[in-house]
Amino acid sequence: MAPQLPTRCWRQLQQPSLQSLTLALARPTPSALLLPRTTTRGVKYGWSTLPSRAKPARFNQVSSGLPAPTTGPAAALKRRERTTPMRTGVLAIKKGMTAFMGKTGSRIPCTVLQLDKVQTVANKTRASNGYFAVQVGLGERRPDNVGAPMLGYFEAKGLAPKRVLAEFHVRDQSGLLPVGVQLLPDWFHVGQWVDVRANSHGKGFAGGMKKHGFKGQGASHGNSLAHRAIGTTGPSQGGGSRVLPGKKMPGRMGNERVTMQNLPVLMVNNELGIVVVKGCVAGPKGCVVKIQDAVKKPPPAKEFIEASRKVLDERFPDAAETLTAARVKHLQLKEMRKQGRIEDMLAAGVVVDGAETVVASEVTV
Amino acid sequence: MNAAPLARRPLGCLKASLRQARQQRTTAAAPAAFLARQLSTVTPTVAGTGALPEHNFFRMIDKKTKKTRSAFAVYAQPPPVPATTAAQATLLPAPPPDPMPHLAAEQIKSMDPTGARTALFTKTRYAARVGDVLMVTHRRGGEPFAGVCLAIRRNGIDTSVLLRNHLSKVGVEMWYKVYNRNVAGIEIVKRRAKRARRAKLTYMRQPKHDMGSVADLVFAWKKTRKVIGSKPGAGKGAQSAKKRK
Repeated sequence: MAPQLPTRCWRQLQQPSLQSLTLALARPTPSALLLPRTTTRGVKYGWSTLPSRAKPARFNQVSSGLPAPTTGPAAALKRRERTTPMRTGVLAIKKGMTAFMGKTGSRIPCTVLQLDKVQTVANKTRASNGYFAVQVGLGERRPDNVGAPMLGYFEAKGLAPKRVLAEFHVRDQSGLLPVGVQLLPDWFHVGQWVDVRANSHGKGFAGGMKKHGFKGQGASHGNSLAHRAIGTTGPSQGGGSRVLPGKKMPGRMGNERVTMQNLPVLMVNNELGIVVVKGCVAGPKGCVVKIQDAVKKPPPAKEFIEASRKVLDERFPDAAETLTAARVKHLQLKEMRKQGRIEDMLAAGVVVDGAETVVASEVTV
Repeated sequence: MNAAPLARRPLGCLKASLRQARQQRTTAAAPAAFLARQLSTVTPTVAGTGALPEHNFFRMIDKKTKKTRSAFAVYAQPPPVPATTAAQATLLPAPPPDPMPHLAAEQIKSMDPTGARTALFTKTRYAARVGDVLMVTHRRGGEPFAGVCLAIRRNGIDTSVLLRNHLSKVGVEMWYKVYNRNVAGIEIVKRRAKRARRAKLTYMRQPKHDMGSVADLVFAWKKTRKVIGSKPGAGKGAQSAKKRK
């Protein structure tokens, strides 16, 4: 495309007569100094004073024969499609380990995970967040232990404040759930595989032998106070005389997220609220764990997924209504808080009821 | 204010008594107001209206002005969930805070329906104890293993015993899971004469305290039980006494 003359230049050119223009070009005046230093100017030499044309966007499209972009949100979602579970997982609390005695005399060590008032709190969508996920909450928390922003958040959801919130990525729109439904252990079935992630036991500041399995040094042969030392951290002059990045050193050990993949589910019990998985799970008793369908194993049968989704709808038929009413009420209370009228409202004993005063459809979801 | 108790007290505690009386008067006059001041951050519960669950208001009070700075609706915990979709009337009970004992009881019930194994290792005077000589018979035949019980781990379904014996003059120790299917029965061959004053008799591994082989004890016990009988079928009585799975 032809180079463009800046506006500040040609506007000056338009105003004076042709003669003064040539004079201006002949003698370098302060205004002429602003012009680009080109010997010959004119349309035929490639100059143009026309307004800029639209960008030739149509040549940059996939439809013009270019390959689909391999970066960006769409590509990222496509890339992770196979490794993203179909449906959400749940939060649970590790209660301890026990064993199952098999019929053939085998002993299967297992971990008991308990679901405590696990509710869906929000949905993340591709349109608004760039990915699909379900936010899930666990347990309960005293309101005086919750900050104002989160109190408002839970108020808008119509839920009691939760102890922990976590997101579970799902593959697409079909994996999203209504807000406020409670997930029970029967969300999983016996025999399916799950991935369980939790933070491991914190070991504090640990040395190289404990943290990375270094050998340490000899007990004798003149060793002095260096029995568990890590030894050298790199070569000397000639090798750079520096410590290479990533060198394993003593430091904080543990308390990092550990994922146990492909654990079979041995038992689900709604009365006790437990999911029992085979094998061990990282972390101490009482720690919060995330359970989700295994990524590297086939997902639960389509029939089971549909059935468990249907059970949710039957158990919580008015989840959508509750959410809408809570949102309406939240907006009204928020307005009152803004105006500083909330104390008067409470003193007068006025109960705001969103569902009656505002039509549900007016609220943008 | 009641002056009688005041008169009986020395003058030095007059101030304290006055304070106490003042406090009592306040609480007696307006107990509701007193309570309300203590719990001023939470308002009475508002019943659920329409689709909304019940809630109350959590107030944030300014420390200086003592006025409500802000207030938020705090909703109640989720109600009990229907147990099954077919029977909507039955609601799931709240899960116990610690499910482990419940799970253990359930497992033990299925693995030991008669309760014989449980009875053998619960702390009663009839139960097996450390120091006793026990014999474990296996489900799939094989030689029964007898030995002196060095330790009992009582841990629900994982309850296990450690037996020590000498086989061809070599010390052998075996852990047995009491509720395992492979264990057909556990019998007490010989009780320890005196109660052991340790929970774990690991000292019995030392040569000074080692019991050695218990083969002769087992042989003598079998003789009394007529397991090694002269005529066929003599061992039936002993068989029925076994704790069978």
